[in-house]
Amino acid sequence: MKPDSALANKIGGKEFIVTAEYLPRTGTGTQIVEDCARTFKNGPVAVNVADNHYGVAMSSLAASVILGRAGIEPVYQVVTRDRNRIALQSDLLGAASLGIKNVLCLSGYHQALTGCPESANVFDIDSIQLIALVKKMCDEGSLLEGTKIEGAFSMLVGAAANPYLRPLELNMLRLRKKVKAGAAFIQTQAVFDIEEFKRWLEAARGEGLTEKVAILAGVLPLTGASEARKLNETFTDFNIPGDVISRLEAAGDEAAQRKEGIAMTAGIIKQLKNMPGLRGIHIFSGGNETVVPALVSAAI
Amino acid sequence: MIVAERKSIPELLDMLPNDSKILVLGCGTCVTVCLAGGEREVSIISSALRIASKARGLGYEVSELTIERQCDNVFIEQAIEAIEKVDVVLSLGCGAGVQAIAERFLKKPVYAGLNTKFLGILEERGVWTEKCSQCGSCVLHEYGGICPVTRCAKHLLNGPCGGSREDRCEVRPDRPCAWQLIYHRLKNIGQLERLEKIEPPKQWSASLSGGPRVIIREDHRI
Repeated sequence: MKPDSALANKIGGKEFIVTAEYLPRTGTGTQIVEDCARTFKNGPVAVNVADNHYGVAMSSLAASVILGRAGIEPVYQVVTRDRNRIALQSDLLGAASLGIKNVLCLSGYHQALTGCPESANVFDIDSIQLIALVKKMCDEGSLLEGTKIEGAFSMLVGAAANPYLRPLELNMLRLRKKVKAGAAFIQTQAVFDIEEFKRWLEAARGEGLTEKVAILAGVLPLTGASEARKLNETFTDFNIPGDVISRLEAAGDEAAQRKEGIAMTAGIIKQLKNMPGLRGIHIFSGGNETVVPALVSAAI
Repeated sequence: MIVAERKSIPELLDMLPNDSKILVLGCGTCVTVCLAGGEREVSIISSALRIASKARGLGYEVSELTIERQCDNVFIEQAIEAIEKVDVVLSLGCGAGVQAIAERFLKKPVYAGLNTKFLGILEERGVWTEKCSQCGSCVLHEYGGICPVTRCAKHLLNGPCGGSREDRCEVRPDRPCAWQLIYHRLKNIGQLERLEKIEPPKQWSASLSGGPRVIIREDHRI
C-alpha cells in the first residue's frame, strides 16, 4: 500500500522539507512528550522519535503514539541493535495499527557507546535488510518469510546516511543499496563541513540518486564547545571541524555559546537551502527541542 | 585457533576448595600456542598456588600435568591416573576441554582456570584477534575473505555503519572497521561488484542461536 503520511505528500511535492528530532526521556508520563509536541506545532512536517539513542528511554513506539495523539506526525525510529526480526516485525505491525505512517530504519549506535555497554546486542538484521523488510510488508503485505499480514500495512520508509563516510565510493555503494532496498527519504548525520557535504551530495546527484530519494541534510545546533568536543570524542559519525569549536568558544559564556550554536546552524541551513539535489533539512534537537522553532523559521 | 586468557590468581583462590589435592591440567594444543594454558602456564600457576597456599594456610597440595589435547578422549586417557589421585582438577584447557574432562570424570569437580575468548589468530607478537564466530554458514567468499559477521561489531552484511571511519571502528579506536577492510580487499581482487547485491537476512539457525550444535557423520560412525 502507498504511504499516505504528510511527509510522504511533501516528498511528492516540490517544497523544501523540514523534519526535526525528539529524544524520548528516561521516564514515564505523557507530559514531556506533549510539551514538546506544542514546541513542534506549525513547524516541521514530521518529527523523528529516537530509539534508545544514548541509553534506555521511553520506547520510540510509545512516544511516537503520544506525539501523534498530540497532533504531531511521528517518524518512528527503529534500530536493529535491540530487536530481532520477530520483535521488529511485531512492533511494526503494532505501529501501523496505532496510526504510525513513517519509519526510519537504522542499525543504531553500538551499545558500547550508550548507557548500557554491558548488555548483549542483537543485530539479527542490518538497516538495509530492515528497509527491504518494511518495503516487503508494504508492497507484498507479507512478513519476511511470507506470512500474509491481515489488514492494510502502509509505511513511508526512510534511512540515514553519513555524508562524511569515506572513501566516497564506499559511501555511495551504501547509499545506492539503501535506495534500492526501498528508502523513500534519507536523513543525514549533522552537517558542519559544508564543502565535504557538497562533495557527497554531488556524488549522489551524479549517480541519479537525488532523483530517486528525498535527501534531508541533518543540522544540529550545538550547545557549546564542550558538547562539540564530547561528540567528536565519543562518536565517530560526528565530524565537527576545529574552527566550529573555536567559534563557539569565542562566543563567550554558556548562554552566548548556545546562542552562537543556533546562529551557526541557521547559517548552515541558509547555505544548504540552495544546494541542487537537496530536498530539505532534518533538525537534530539533541534533546533541546525548544531550539527547533527558530531553526524552522530559518529554513522556511 | 581457540584463544583464551588466564583467570587471575585471586579468582582461582576464590574458586578452589581449601585443604584439597589439586591437579593443574594443561592442554598442549590451542591454549599452549596462545600462551594461556600450556606446560609453561601450568608450571607458573602451580607455583603461584603453592606460594599462596603456604602464605595463607590454604592447605593445597598441587600437582601438574599437561596432555596433548583435553578435548579428545584418546588423550584424556593419559590423565586418568593423575586425576584419580586428586580431589579437584583445575583445567587450563578451553571451555571444550574443561567440559570433556568433567564429562569423563563424573564424581570429580573440574574448574576452569581460563576464560575462553574466541577463535582467532596471532596477529603480531603478543596480539591475538578474533576472526571467526562459527556462525555455521560461512560467507567469507562474498567478502574477500574478511568476515563481517565477526569483525564488524554490528554483524552488518550490506556495508558499513554510519560510524565507520577509514582509520577505525565506531566501537574501538584501536580496531579497524571491517567494512573498510572488505571494501579495499574486494577492490584489490577486482570483486567490488559483489557488494552491490543486497544480502538477505542471515539464517542464524545454523549458529548457536539454533541451539547447541552437533555434527553427525554417518560415514564415520561404527
